[in-house]
Amino acid sequence: MDWQPIIDIALKFLAITIAFTVVLLIVAYTVLAERRVLGLIQGRLGPNRVGFGGSLQPFADLLKFILKEDIVPDKSTRFVYFLAPVIATMAALMTMIVYPFGPDVNLPFLHTTHLVIARFDVALLYVLGVTSVGVYGIALAGWSSNNKYSLMGGLRSSAQMISYELALGLSLIGVILQAGTLDLQRIVELQSRWHGAGWFLFWLQPLGFIIYLVSAIAETNRVPFDLPEAETELVAGFHTEYSAMKFALFFLAEYINMFTVSMLATTLFLGGWNVPFAEDIFGRGTVLFGLVSVIGFLVKVCFFLFLYIWLRGTLPRFRFDQLMNFGWKFLLPLALVNIFITATLVFLNVL
Amino acid sequence: MLVLLFIIFAGMAVGCAIAVVAQRNPLYSAISLIGVFISLACLYVTLAAPFIAAVQVIVYAGAIMVLVVFVIMLLNVEQEDRRRPRMAFLVPAAVGMAAVLIAEVAFILSSVQLSANTPTQNISDVGLTSSIGTGLFTTYLLPFEITSILLLMAIVGAMTLARQAKMLSPRARVVPGAQVLALNVIDPRVPLDDTKAIHVHTTTEVEKVLGIEHDHDSAQRD
Repeated sequence: MDWQPIIDIALKFLAITIAFTVVLLIVAYTVLAERRVLGLIQGRLGPNRVGFGGSLQPFADLLKFILKEDIVPDKSTRFVYFLAPVIATMAALMTMIVYPFGPDVNLPFLHTTHLVIARFDVALLYVLGVTSVGVYGIALAGWSSNNKYSLMGGLRSSAQMISYELALGLSLIGVILQAGTLDLQRIVELQSRWHGAGWFLFWLQPLGFIIYLVSAIAETNRVPFDLPEAETELVAGFHTEYSAMKFALFFLAEYINMFTVSMLATTLFLGGWNVPFAEDIFGRGTVLFGLVSVIGFLVKVCFFLFLYIWLRGTLPRFRFDQLMNFGWKFLLPLALVNIFITATLVFLNVL
Repeated sequence: MLVLLFIIFAGMAVGCAIAVVAQRNPLYSAISLIGVFISLACLYVTLAAPFIAAVQVIVYAGAIMVLVVFVIMLLNVEQEDRRRPRMAFLVPAAVGMAAVLIAEVAFILSSVQLSANTPTQNISDVGLTSSIGTGLFTTYLLPFEITSILLLMAIVGAMTLARQAKMLSPRARVVPGAQVLALNVIDPRVPLDDTKAIHVHTTTEVEKVLGIEHDHDSAQRD
């Protein structure tokens, strides 16, 4: 009997498990980091009592979420009310599998391993598609709660996500034009030149990068675009009526979304796992090179996560009409201009 | 393996499609329709057309159905009551036609000879992104451009129709909350014209001003 396919499947499952565990841990500690960094910005301490420097706080929070009473509003639409957090979390988690987090390495006892869970031709479109399905989680949550604040929050959030999805998608087209592929692994490999510092999509796509960053923040409903959760107007927005673990799922989905858009930004604009000069020092395909690359990837992602927290501690919230005007009348035309310039330069073989 | 996947996703698609017409709550119908689109996308992947699958999810599930769900949520469409079908004579006709259709399919399946030359097992690249792009921008450029003009016309038409509602001055705007205000109330730079602020205090009054008839007692859902 040929054991190779079974070993391959087992390895894939192992990789998925490890990746999900690592991402969920990072997400848990992002929440802690957010509270500590916000404390730092606002001149206070933040949670520091559970464990060393508050290091066990995420687990205490989780325990509390599990043990809280789960309240379902009397007049909610029961099935949709349960479905909404599931859709939100699933859509957030599903995008994670396509990001390459390291180069090809020769692991001991195995053949050359790609450090990516699933590699396929339309990885970038897959990310956009799954993200666009995630809108339903929020819209349905707002509707099924049978609460006007929830409904307003859900509507605002979906309108915002649909609007900024356009600018986000268009900002990626510049990168696709330069790379000539939708395969994320290939896009990262194309940025390996100049000894791994040729994050050419970053050097050559500054406008696209900024548009992506702004619309990604809006996509994830974070400050300064967190109107769906504007507590002064909407109590808590679409998750007003959600309690205990269902609320935790929405919370989780928001942070996983933050993480995935950070991974996408890293992959497309900051060279993915490319660390300058790492390949020259450790040599292609060695385990050490793989390790350094993975760490480099995580550091870049964590930079974006820190940026999110930093913005939250710094900026006030938009007004809703400002938000819509900014998205449709400024970001969208700017993204089109970016595509036009990039396409012209690619056509003239300058890039 | 592929057959198993086909059975799973085709079953999902058919089940969701039945749910679309069988559900009484319009929102459940919409959710089922999303299910249909996603199962179809999965079928496209098994047919080696990943680009079509991704576009199916992005355009249909991610954009068009969101708008449908929006409309259902905003209008708060009532759960359809079970009522006597108005044209009852159509029911036996529909059953008869369905029987004819099934008979046709059975006839085709049983009597048509399977072609002797089976299709080649080569992995096709028709569904890949680059081949679709090349086709669209070379061989089929004219149909592609005509389609985009058609879509542009649809957008312009929708905007024109929406603007024709003369309920309020085009400068007036509805502030989310409960007030209908003229623009110059909000923005002092706007020159005064004949529009006046319409003072209302509740959402119900806004609905009355905007002419949206609404029965609040039956608005609550099950």
